[in-house]
Amino acid sequence: MEKNNNLSVLLNGIIKENPVLVLILGTCPTLATTNTVNGAFGMGIAALCVLLCSNIFISLLRKIIPDSMRIPCYIVIIAGFVTIVKLLIQAFLPSLYATLGVYLDLITVNCIILGRAEMFANKNPVVKSALDGLGMGIGFTLSLCAMATIREVFGAASFAGIAIPFMQDYKIEFFTKAPGGLLVYGLLIALIYVITKGKAPAKTSFSCQGCPNAATCTIETCSKKGENA
Amino acid sequence: MRKNIKNTAVLVCICVVIGLLLSLTNAITAPIIEKNQNASANAALLEVMPDGSGFESVDIKNYTLPSTVTEVYKETANKGFVITLTTSGYASDMVIMCGVTADGKVTGAKCLSSNETLGKEKTYGDSFKDKDAAAVDAVDTIAGATKTTAAYKGAIKDALNAVIILGGGSVDIRSEEEILADNLNTALPQGEKKFQKLFLVEVIDGIDAVYIAENNSGYVCVVGEQFIGVDANGAVITEGAENPEAVTTAIAKIKASTLKDVNFNKYPAIADFVVSAQKTASGNFVIETKGAGYGIKGGNEYHPASNEYIIVKVAISKDGKIIDCMTVSQAETKGLGDACADEKFYGQFDGKTKDNYTEIDAISGATLTTDGYKQAIERAFEAVKVLKGGK
Repeated sequence: MEKNNNLSVLLNGIIKENPVLVLILGTCPTLATTNTVNGAFGMGIAALCVLLCSNIFISLLRKIIPDSMRIPCYIVIIAGFVTIVKLLIQAFLPSLYATLGVYLDLITVNCIILGRAEMFANKNPVVKSALDGLGMGIGFTLSLCAMATIREVFGAASFAGIAIPFMQDYKIEFFTKAPGGLLVYGLLIALIYVITKGKAPAKTSFSCQGCPNAATCTIETCSKKGENA
Repeated sequence: MRKNIKNTAVLVCICVVIGLLLSLTNAITAPIIEKNQNASANAALLEVMPDGSGFESVDIKNYTLPSTVTEVYKETANKGFVITLTTSGYASDMVIMCGVTADGKVTGAKCLSSNETLGKEKTYGDSFKDKDAAAVDAVDTIAGATKTTAAYKGAIKDALNAVIILGGGSVDIRSEEEILADNLNTALPQGEKKFQKLFLVEVIDGIDAVYIAENNSGYVCVVGEQFIGVDANGAVITEGAENPEAVTTAIAKIKASTLKDVNFNKYPAIADFVVSAQKTASGNFVIETKGAGYGIKGGNEYHPASNEYIIVKVAISKDGKIIDCMTVSQAETKGLGDACADEKFYGQFDGKTKDNYTEIDAISGATLTTDGYKQAIERAFEAVKVLKGGK
């Protein structure tokens, strides 16, 4: 039973609670880094590492971190891991570092990471939190890669930098631009909605709990919905 | 209060732990990152020194380098230097990067940026590969871009000289003008570094050129390599001067010489092209004539023509030899024909006669200017002939 539960935590992040396509979190890096598959994959893995480490760390400290101080503590932890990942990428993958640019630093304020810290890691034991981080990270990476594949193949007629010969004359450059990214994003959200119809949790089940203001929120309907979940 | 202290303590502890983790990561990655950054910064340097393993910047303030040198990088395995130079070709600010081995051979050169008109300087650097100082002059010039070529070669020579200086050696990095100025000053210190070349109107044997101090404190005569100072009283002051009597005599002759205007307007055949005519007591003529160069004949074929004649001043001796020659004014094409105002060009006419004055090196890329100049010289001989006949 316990094992099954763990597995479902891991799988949750991939489809049912996919951070990008269901929770609609982390849209900024999603749109910014998905014009190439390489960039998207690098971004996904970097976020995965930070997510995993911060989830473990925050879960470990969940009983020590005072409730009123949790946001600054989370930010310090997340920013620390982001910087570590950034230094490692800069040292060992300089080309990826150049591709991701400022978006690497912006992982610090990626809502997925802070969101998972708030929603999951501060309430769950270490192993579960780690699995949640891993699942969410994989979900994030997969969605980014899916989106980047569509954008790069149709927009630049290449995949992961390798040119696709017969498509060279049929590039739709629109896809590599921001509006194209939004369009693909919307289409993928719709697709996931169709696939998970009836199975995906109602948004209300996590919207209020996940809200950093949930504890102090006075809107009745909102808090009620949160409790109902 | 207790809660606050606890909160602060927790945050401080987290910060400390994260800080430690960060410093640990930094300790591991910093050297690698630095190496990576150096590698990308060195990519440009490696293009001109492919053998280089690493480079470090050298503070050029510690050396007296040619003024064109702006940056110096030392190859860390002592293979040589990469030098960045800024020079002026046809336009200003041509930036050249040049790699030179420690023993003075060019490993590669590249034009980083320029405002030259032809764009051929972009690849010209390749011609200097493996050349040493002696071989630089022999490198083919860029056709039709004399100034760019000269500036490029000058920069390469400066780079080679800079490497000698950086290696602890010494080299004369003065320009030709500076060397001349220094020589004149040594020969006649009371001239206070201000000299003008004298336009000779008398035949003086054994002396190549005469300079006069602007403050009238004396003269400097150039005999071969030697600069001989003569004070205002006509006495030779340079010790060890060869043949001081000839110098004294020459200066006396120059001082005694007088010029008288000649009325050329009564000779319609020459009045159109002669600007002025004078005669010395010894029977030499000093004529200024107009020649039609590119400014008159060029039309707008390549560049708009200036509609200005080239005006040349020629001193012709009694026996028909050119004593001295100089360009009075010209408005030929910048960068090409304007080389006719350079002493290197008009100096060629010295000593020539009516029969052989055409045997000079033309200005590269400026046939019309060269022809116009020759026309002016021809007209000077013509004028002398008419003026003598008229007498």
